[in-house]
Amino acid sequence: MSGFSAIGLELAVVVGALAILMIGVCVSSERRSFLSYVAALFVGLVLLSSFLVSWPEKQAFFEGTYLVDGLALFFKRLFLVAAGFVLVMASGSSRETAIGVEFPVLVLIALAGMMFAASAGGFILLFVALELVTVTFYVLVAFARNTRRSLEAGVKFLIIGAVTSAFLVLGMAFVYGATGTMNFDELRVAPIDVGNKQLFDIGLVLVFVGVGFKLAAVPSQIWAPDVYEGAPAPVGAFLASGSKAVGLVLIVRVMNSTMLQGETLWAVLLAVSAVASILYGALCAIPQKDLKRLLGYSSIVTAGYLLIGLASGSEAGIGASLYYMTAYTFAALAVFTVVSIVFGASEPAEIVGLAGLYKRSPLLAVALTLSMISLAGIPPLAGFFGKFLLVKSAVGSAGLKTGLVVLIGVMVVGILISIYYYFGVIRAVYWVAPSKDGKSIIVTRSERVALIMLMVGLVWLGLFPGRLIRASSGAVGSIAPSRQAIAEVVKHDGERR
Amino acid sequence: MTVGLNHYLAVSGLLFCIGLAGVLFRRNLLVVYMCIEMMLAAASLALVAFSRFRGDLDGQVLALLVISVAAAEVAVGLALIVAVCRRGLKPTADELAGMKL
Repeated sequence: MSGFSAIGLELAVVVGALAILMIGVCVSSERRSFLSYVAALFVGLVLLSSFLVSWPEKQAFFEGTYLVDGLALFFKRLFLVAAGFVLVMASGSSRETAIGVEFPVLVLIALAGMMFAASAGGFILLFVALELVTVTFYVLVAFARNTRRSLEAGVKFLIIGAVTSAFLVLGMAFVYGATGTMNFDELRVAPIDVGNKQLFDIGLVLVFVGVGFKLAAVPSQIWAPDVYEGAPAPVGAFLASGSKAVGLVLIVRVMNSTMLQGETLWAVLLAVSAVASILYGALCAIPQKDLKRLLGYSSIVTAGYLLIGLASGSEAGIGASLYYMTAYTFAALAVFTVVSIVFGASEPAEIVGLAGLYKRSPLLAVALTLSMISLAGIPPLAGFFGKFLLVKSAVGSAGLKTGLVVLIGVMVVGILISIYYYFGVIRAVYWVAPSKDGKSIIVTRSERVALIMLMVGLVWLGLFPGRLIRASSGAVGSIAPSRQAIAEVVKHDGERR
Repeated sequence: MTVGLNHYLAVSGLLFCIGLAGVLFRRNLLVVYMCIEMMLAAASLALVAFSRFRGDLDGQVLALLVISVAAAEVAVGLALIVAVCRRGLKPTADELAGMKL
């Protein structure tokens, strides 16, 4: 496989984005909503073609900067699925709001950035791809620029995003200074002198801050509630699904390449960040009245759960994180789809406004209930199984180390608190009488199909998780360092002592 | 006195901290953007310094990319400020603090 066929999926997405831009310029503004459908169909085609191509097991292209392996493919497919649903959502909401021709184009460009990021083989591609995603999202978050909330969200997102990317660059500089390489494969076996160990550790912490911005993990979580509340609903959905997954895959890549030199550092860093994220998110979510803002806090909690899987350090733990990320993606997409149908894309989504939703539209009520139950982690849905896997991997790898016991304790507390606030939403849907003007809600055919697919996904992943577990553990297995690499580092450590 | 790696790193660290302080304490969005640029420039300086003293070009390549990405970021940021002004708001941090805990 040559380099240019290796980046074929990304190239297709970029070309598709440009083509849709060209078509959009020629189409009158009333007929723009069909562009989102076209983009969604196109994304579906790319997803399909990713299954038809036979990919190499593990291969590096372009001087080792671009990797094709199981992990990259797993995440690329996840991004494609998320982008498809986001585009369907946008096509529905373009009816009443001014979601113009640029919207599907920007979504596709962000998608291309995410797919490049999943394949990053070194810090250079990591940075460029991450910034492609982030800068595109600055525009997307402020897309409803005639509303003040969207503008405010955009400005906040930009400032915090730019500051954390400065941290990321400084961290990369330190790691580079300590090891002399930016390539992940070389980094894994790079010798670090005793004098440089501190520089390396500080560098890793800074990189974690920079990449944690995408994941919405403490300490760079502060943007999440405001941006989720202010951004248009489809953008919020993409932030919760694709953008969060980018953070996860990049942390996995960086962690995987520096695990041998920085094992204790990673364990402490991930555990502290996970505990702080879960407690901060869960406690702040309790008094929220706006559903989108509630999801912002719930996304911080989710970042904490994902980090627990990584903190356990085992392949099973990382696989559990991948599984949970997929489950969360489906639930978050479903919730945001319901929000954008009930409230409109860029209006506030007060939970009170959901009163009597089951009378106004049973389908929306069922979809919202199922995704809330999945987010809360109640069997038999996907979210339950994801949390179960996370706890299981933590217990399995821990033996009985105290740190991981604390982690599991915090996770249980987080789950209990989250059941309270998720059920507040379900209560509003079924047990609060609708206000007088509660008319029934019109759901377009494509939105109905998307919601049903998401619900089937949630139930199916919960009842028959085997396939996804195999896929995620295969993805994690593909990045495991070779025995030879480990031996080399151990040998070098021995010489140093 | 010869200028060594540590001198460059000290300058870079100082610039970074000044930039961070500016982001935290200044209220005008334009000034905040400038401070962010300063942080990015500080980080690039560290990259170039490491690259020079290690005799490896990767760091300088990344520094070039950082500069171009920073330009893109500012372009979007200034567009946001224009959009804020068009709505009749002042581009300050206090004006854009509608959403709170």
